[in-house]
Amino acid sequence: MHKVWAVIRREFVERVRTRWFWIGTILGPLLMVGIIGFQLLLAGRGAGVRRMTVVDGTTTEFGVWLTVQLQSAVPRFHVTRTAAGPGVADTLMAQVEAKAIDGFLLVDDAMLDQGKAEYRGSNVSSVADMEQLESTLRRLVFAARLERRGIDTLVVQQAQIPIHLIQSKVSGGKLTGESGRQSFFTGFGMAVLLFVVILMYGVNVMSSVLEEKTTRVVEVLVSSLRPFQLMVGKVVGAGAVGLVQLTVWIGSAKVLGGVGQRLASSTAGATPVGFQFPHIPAATFAVFALYFLLGYFLYAAIYAAVGAMSNTEAEARQAQVPVQLVLMIPYLSFFAILNDPSSELAVWMTLIPFWSPIAAPVRWGARPIPPIELALSLVILLATVIGVTWVAARIYRVGILMTGKRPNLKELVRWVRAA
Amino acid sequence: MSEAVVAVDHVTKRFAGHTAVDALSISVPSGVIYGLLGPNGAGKTTTIRMIMDIYEPDAGSVRLFGNAGGGGRAHSERIGYLPEERGLYPRMRVLDVLVFLAEAKGMQRRAARTKATEWLERLGLADWRLRKVSELSKGMQQKVQFISTILHDPDLVILDEPFSGLDPVNSQVLRDTVVDWRRRGKTILFSTHIMEHAEKLCDQLCIIARGKKLVDGLLSAVKQTHGGKHVTVAFDGAAGSAASVLADRRLVAKADDYGHYAELELAAGADPQEILRGLVSAGARLTKFELVEPTLNKIFIDLVGPDAARAAAVPETPVRA
Repeated sequence: MHKVWAVIRREFVERVRTRWFWIGTILGPLLMVGIIGFQLLLAGRGAGVRRMTVVDGTTTEFGVWLTVQLQSAVPRFHVTRTAAGPGVADTLMAQVEAKAIDGFLLVDDAMLDQGKAEYRGSNVSSVADMEQLESTLRRLVFAARLERRGIDTLVVQQAQIPIHLIQSKVSGGKLTGESGRQSFFTGFGMAVLLFVVILMYGVNVMSSVLEEKTTRVVEVLVSSLRPFQLMVGKVVGAGAVGLVQLTVWIGSAKVLGGVGQRLASSTAGATPVGFQFPHIPAATFAVFALYFLLGYFLYAAIYAAVGAMSNTEAEARQAQVPVQLVLMIPYLSFFAILNDPSSELAVWMTLIPFWSPIAAPVRWGARPIPPIELALSLVILLATVIGVTWVAARIYRVGILMTGKRPNLKELVRWVRAA
Repeated sequence: MSEAVVAVDHVTKRFAGHTAVDALSISVPSGVIYGLLGPNGAGKTTTIRMIMDIYEPDAGSVRLFGNAGGGGRAHSERIGYLPEERGLYPRMRVLDVLVFLAEAKGMQRRAARTKATEWLERLGLADWRLRKVSELSKGMQQKVQFISTILHDPDLVILDEPFSGLDPVNSQVLRDTVVDWRRRGKTILFSTHIMEHAEKLCDQLCIIARGKKLVDGLLSAVKQTHGGKHVTVAFDGAAGSAASVLADRRLVAKADDYGHYAELELAAGADPQEILRGLVSAGARLTKFELVEPTLNKIFIDLVGPDAARAAAVPETPVRA
């Protein structure tokens, strides 16, 4: 035990001492804040002034009315009207090219009857602009149609009072105080953190194994410790570093989130969503921590074996690609899981041990997993961790002393059997 | 003789395609310098790795310090091991590497620190103890490696090809250290294919080739058994009819005659005394008649000569289990 402890400490201290650890630990949260800030900045940019022209091809007063209504409904749209005619579209097109206007809306009688209209502009890729334009048009046309049938304007206005849906998450029969948006961010954040940390520290274990192999230090080590002790020490040591880094990240995100919220509430206007650190219930945190630990041990053991069977950094990087791909599957399906946390896909992802470390916490973030399913998922994962560690230790034991060409699958099976 | 410190009993290790060590037995008594000699690919490193518990023998057993079933790992606190392929963590500080390697062998951290500092001072590396290993010269790294081998004051020191790659200064440091260890009652087992080192250092030795033992025992005994077959003769003035004696193929297998001086290789079973009588009765005036003890190198080449070339083609470190 004393010997294993020495390995754990070396792994931890040597990693924490590197410049990269500190850069990663400090820069990680800053980077996150930076990305969120950048996105907010871009979102803010998107809400700028737009100049557009309504090309009125109607035979009624609808075109004039629409221009006025559009202008008053969306103040940031500066709307002018021009009558349709030959060559008008070309002229406006040239204006868009010259950036005199952002775009123009082609309106004729068909709009009221069939709901057809066309917008041409340089800002069609802006989701915010187009959504606002489309929804405003829908509302205006809706009102115009009703009024055409002689419905009272007041009634029409009342009919158009929009719904503001407040979303609150219920968990364990209680309100969690978590909004739908926060649920999403919790799930998303967990998926990113789990993926990044498991991958990063798994790869760390791999390069650490490889370093001992290429420098041949391993020969002295293996003559004093059992290979299994060495592997376990390495995995635990590197994992401890990951845990520290994760704690720093989550802690600083919480602090920064608090600061952000205070900043946001002190300045007038909407609260920037990105800065809000979601309230995480203890159960969610426990699920996250449990799956992180088990997931990390699972992948770290695999990475240790990959390191042991490779001879160079380049070879190892190549050999770990399949491992990375497997871990990527639950990461990429986090959106589907959040969309429908009780779908068949989500349930399977929770049960398959190579995916559950990411899929289960994400699913939990969206909706608590039934206790039986959760227990089953954890038992399967734990059994897999033990099994994989056993196999990995055997590959590791033979691999660390081998040089020469990388073994193929058949040889690997022989290693596992022989050890 | 006390219980053997290292008792290797009929160990065999096979790797895919060839037998690296074949039913080899060696016994290293306490307090001696024991040489494990053989050409490249003879199985020296494999034998040492089995002693150190790095490989498990396919057959046979290894006993250390008289304990049944206890290989190198169980006794790591009492064994210093310098592998043939040496290496340290290049990015670690010198002192930290030494402390870690000592801890891995079971030494307490604080004691390891003190000892490491002492040794670094003794070998003139005190100023480097907080530097990274990669900043050290090759010679300095070799010194750090020695220190890591003996820091925990082991009773048994196992050195695999310790002189390979050493600069002359470190080579001398190592030789002195080895002799000093024996003086302090330690047991040293080392492998080499360079016979000059073995001849100067060994008390006992074992020569192996292709995984099999060819000869073992005390250096003097080996020399006696395999030596005594060379005679140097010097004449004063006329050699008389000595030439006829030297030409007698029943007595002399080969003679290098320089006129006043001749080196003779005796024929198998020939008695040097008979040659002496023959020379005297032939009227030669002898100023010198000496039975020459052959060098270990000569014995080695005689024993493994035809083998060496073939064995060298087999890699010493197996590529695949």
